[in-house]
Amino acid sequence: MAYHTGMYLFLFLPAVLLLYQAAPARHRWKVLLLAGYVFFYLVSGKLLLYLLGTTLFTHYIGLRLEALQSAGRGKKEQKRVLAFGICVLLAVLGYLKYYNFFAENLNKAVVHFGGGPLLAARHLLLPIGISFYTLQAIGYMADIYWKKIPAGQPLGKVALFLGFFPQIMEGPISMYGQTADQLWQGRDIRREDLSRGWLRIVWGLFKKMVVADRLYVLVQNVFSQHSRYSGVIVAVAAVAYTVQLYMEFSGCMDIVTGSARMFGVTLPENFRQPFVSRSAAEFWRRWHITLGVWLKTYVFYPVSASGLVKRWNRFARKHCGKYAARLGVSALALFPVWLCNGLWHGPRWSYIFYGMYYFVILLLEMAFEPVGEKIRTLLGLKADAWQIRAVQIFRTWLVVFTGELFFRADGLRTGIEMFRSIFRGFSLVPLWDGSLCMLGLDLADYLVVFAGCLAVGAAGFFKERQTDISVRLENTKLPVRWACYYALILAVVLFGAYGIGYQKVDLIYAGF
Amino acid sequence: MEKLMEILREIDDTIDFEKETALIDGRILDSFGMITLVSELEDAFDIQIGASEMVPENFNSVQAMWEMVTRLKETG
Repeated sequence: MAYHTGMYLFLFLPAVLLLYQAAPARHRWKVLLLAGYVFFYLVSGKLLLYLLGTTLFTHYIGLRLEALQSAGRGKKEQKRVLAFGICVLLAVLGYLKYYNFFAENLNKAVVHFGGGPLLAARHLLLPIGISFYTLQAIGYMADIYWKKIPAGQPLGKVALFLGFFPQIMEGPISMYGQTADQLWQGRDIRREDLSRGWLRIVWGLFKKMVVADRLYVLVQNVFSQHSRYSGVIVAVAAVAYTVQLYMEFSGCMDIVTGSARMFGVTLPENFRQPFVSRSAAEFWRRWHITLGVWLKTYVFYPVSASGLVKRWNRFARKHCGKYAARLGVSALALFPVWLCNGLWHGPRWSYIFYGMYYFVILLLEMAFEPVGEKIRTLLGLKADAWQIRAVQIFRTWLVVFTGELFFRADGLRTGIEMFRSIFRGFSLVPLWDGSLCMLGLDLADYLVVFAGCLAVGAAGFFKERQTDISVRLENTKLPVRWACYYALILAVVLFGAYGIGYQKVDLIYAGF
Repeated sequence: MEKLMEILREIDDTIDFEKETALIDGRILDSFGMITLVSELEDAFDIQIGASEMVPENFNSVQAMWEMVTRLKETG
């Protein structure tokens, strides 16, 4: 039961809304918690036990930390308990998600040196959303350790924080302080929340079903038969996949955020117009924001605050100058962040490469910043000049499209082959000689995709200028408002890529 | 306070630290500037700044930084 299915939208969500509103305010959190577990069970069956186990364990570690803090015990003991908690959660995640990857590569290495396979592959089932709720659980433990969360959090509140049904499949990865109180309150459903919530859901459906699922056909065609294609067609597929991923993931986040909004819960945003970014670093502050914030809070800052990084910073600033110190500190603190980012996406070398790719790109951006500044000064242009912005945005697009090519390719070797094939007999002619219409989409499909991107781009343009179209719509006259609402619904119904001729497309990030 | 201003000016003398109230939220000072600042503050005031203190609220303005330094000096 994914978020874009009829079962979720027309049965599950309305039923939970009704039960929630019908229940007394003090029991409403129980309705949400039960709904979360039913949702989880419907997707992952008995694997619900993993979520229950994680919840009990996380709450227990929180209690242990609080007990040590109130008894005035030393930081070392608290650190040991925290480390134990994190290790157990990571061990479960690591075993279920990475065991076969580790076994396969270890066996390959041993066979390479003349031995026999050491570890047998195992059939392991992965509970839905384990990568998301594990990060939230680790964040909860760390926040208790850092005393960011008041002592004495009830088990039910922690359980709901980890098992709120709209967040289970694809996040957003929230911190306890962001959502737990809102979920626990059990406030009345309000008309304003319902109307904003459903509009956000329809907007998400539009992005996913009209644009992303249509582009899926082209992407699947090229990536699954990559050896048949080269040149600009592979480049088009990389761009199409990036757009598909954005529309799909951000569309799903719209559905998730809209669902939560109906209960009066505001979830953290996961996207903020990423394609206007002027650097890869800015792109990652606008794309999958909650993963970036989590990695920054629980990996980047702790590594930065470690003795090794501080010592290097002091040494380098004294002996090598500010520039080298900055680069060195960046390398030390960013490496674990991007390794975790790559690994988090799954047990594949191409994902690890994806993380390392951005690690190198970010360091290069930092290293060449002074050169860029000099060129800009020589050209006599201001930092905010449109020419500078255009070049920077285009450069970021190239970086992002290339990264997504490797991310989507079936393995690192395939990714390298596809990347090299772009430069083999490169010509722009396939863009207009009809080749694009041989990839599973016809001209009408391309027009729909283009119009969809234009609509999303226009909404993003206004949002970038602090104008939320949905809020503006609420202040327009009734006929205009409803004409827009119906137009959006009709667009999904008429142009959605579903039914005969289209394949059902699962949510990409639910697989992570 | 003057010692703190000296450190800040040493890190980036183009920023008007006295006026700014959103150094981190407004991305005037980036994460790496913050890391450098942490090392400098630790040396200058003989304090330990842990990861839990590395939040925008503690670095958004000179006043916020000074309050954090004072608090950490008091708690040892």
